[in-house]
Amino acid sequence: MRTTDRTEISARVLALLEKRFGDAARALPADAELSSALPGFDSLAALEYVNAVEGEFGIEVDFVGDDVRYWFSTLDRTAEYVRECVEDRAA
Amino acid sequence: MTYDMLQRSSGIVSGESDLWCTYAAVRTLAWLGRTGDLPSPETVAAFLASRQNPDGGFAWSSGMSSDAWATYYCTQALADLPAGSRGPVRAPSSDWVRSTAHADGGFAMTPGQTSDVWATYYAVRTLVEIYGERPPEELFGWLAALQAEDGGLAWSPAHAKDGTSDARACYYAVTAWSTATGGLGPLPWDRERLTNWLRDRQSASGGFTFQAGDGTDCLWATFRAVSALSRLGEAPRDPEGCIAWIRSRLRPGGSFTRWPGYPVADVWAAFCGVGALRELGAALDDIADAVVATVLSFRTGQGGFTYRTPELASDVLTTSAHLVAGRLPDAAAHDALRWTESCMMPNEDGIMYMPGRGSEVRCTLWALSAGAFGDDAPARSRIADWLTGSIQNPDGGFGYWEGRASDMVSTCSAAEILHRTGGNRPADALRGIAEYVATCETAPGRYANVPGGRPTLRATLQALRALRRAGGADGARVDEALARHRVRGGGYANESNRVPDLLSTYEAVLTADAFGIEWDAGHLSRFLDSVRTADAGFAWTPLMPTSGGPLADCLGRRLELRLSPERHPLPPLALS
Repeated sequence: MRTTDRTEISARVLALLEKRFGDAARALPADAELSSALPGFDSLAALEYVNAVEGEFGIEVDFVGDDVRYWFSTLDRTAEYVRECVEDRAA
Repeated sequence: MTYDMLQRSSGIVSGESDLWCTYAAVRTLAWLGRTGDLPSPETVAAFLASRQNPDGGFAWSSGMSSDAWATYYCTQALADLPAGSRGPVRAPSSDWVRSTAHADGGFAMTPGQTSDVWATYYAVRTLVEIYGERPPEELFGWLAALQAEDGGLAWSPAHAKDGTSDARACYYAVTAWSTATGGLGPLPWDRERLTNWLRDRQSASGGFTFQAGDGTDCLWATFRAVSALSRLGEAPRDPEGCIAWIRSRLRPGGSFTRWPGYPVADVWAAFCGVGALRELGAALDDIADAVVATVLSFRTGQGGFTYRTPELASDVLTTSAHLVAGRLPDAAAHDALRWTESCMMPNEDGIMYMPGRGSEVRCTLWALSAGAFGDDAPARSRIADWLTGSIQNPDGGFGYWEGRASDMVSTCSAAEILHRTGGNRPADALRGIAEYVATCETAPGRYANVPGGRPTLRATLQALRALRRAGGADGARVDEALARHRVRGGGYANESNRVPDLLSTYEAVLTADAFGIEWDAGHLSRFLDSVRTADAGFAWTPLMPTSGGPLADCLGRRLELRLSPERHPLPPLALS
């Protein structure tokens, strides 16, 4: 992962959601709350989502310090979180 | 005992659907040919489907592990719903059910656990009736070993050696055999002795009890006994007396109640009453409308059912959680405590999750921690006797309730109850606890919830607390476990050290305190900040934005109190 381009990051995060939630994720607005927009997005699904994002971008999330319930609540916020992580790592 | 408290229900209501109740409601309607009366069966289906885990099995509640009981209830209730309302079929469950099979021929509630007849019954019914598959041939040898000296059937072959027979065990075993063979295979028991044992459970009043020596007939026992007899092609000694006794459980113009003197018509009474009359070939037409109306009045907003009208459906865990968190004013707390103390079955001296359900170890610990029977030494003594005299398993451990195979949550809870109830704790009961805990050790100082399970922080801490109560445990093991599962940013994780959760963190602090181990207040405080919610509650993990409900709020509040200058001690609660 080299890029910090938000559009590309968003596309890759969306692909992760599509893999897990199929059609429901395909039409997902970038600012939609995942817990209400995706049927079955419970705590287990949220954990799988965070783990998938970690694996995709080679980052490690701090589950307490990073306020995961904010950053992983929408596609937009997740992409922004990933972008900052990648930039921090590159700095 | 009087049941006034149950009648006006001064406990705390969760308002949530319950899987047991939902299954009982749907099955009752199906037996009456009335599932078409369900106003929105698709919402029932959605509630049931929400219990399925990615492994294909179903869980008692969201987030819990799959078990054979929940899997049968969900798959059977879904099958009972009107066609077209069941929703899309998700992963089939039969592979998961087969993963609970033991080499001994029985099935366990969860993979790795010891076989018991409850789990075996549910697994066989799911495999045969839902998926059209055959259970393994070893099943019949395992079932054969359930016959005890007195002719009745017991929870497991090991229980049979001790001579503990029970009408429920008879029903589950006979039905497993009948389901697997279509009732045509060779009977693996001495028919006459088994039939006589079952018939001897009927009293002069017409109803049945679960076990020899029980003092009160109940509808649950009656349903199980007449059903077992029916599958054997037999009948009670006095079928007409039995029908009359069952019908005398009807409330005027309404549905059934569980036993004489108990005032509440509930969902399992409807299930047992209709089920028993059906097995006896008795007429149901004259009562069907009232039973259906009553059962439908138990629907909740989540799509499933609870045990009585939702606004009165208190349960012990929710009520205890409010009491332990100190959320009730004095007068309400007094009423709630008395209500909790009234939640006992006849013949079973532990406390139930919901009135009318079997007494449960874990709920008994929560109720005692909330203050139940605090000034009633004889009652505490009866609870201790119930634990050590009736429900401790031959392997030394405890299951959720009588006859269920042992697990660490229940065994740790039992050890804490025995400590709290004082009196003469029999040395062999404590020795048995230590022996069971040893079977769950997967590596030095690491424990699983059941033998053959995966080690986790909570099971390890529960094991070490149980060992401490049973005579001694090494505090260094607690230190090692806490270090292994300490999450850098705050809190403790049940598995690895990445995702902290409220329950594991509660048990970590509780166990550290019990062993006199220092912990970092800042580390706990940071974790609590991450699970505190906008509605002033607590989430189970930092991943969730909303409160996890009264139990999570209770644990979070108690951790706050532990951090306060007064350092209020944590009650020794275990949940899962």
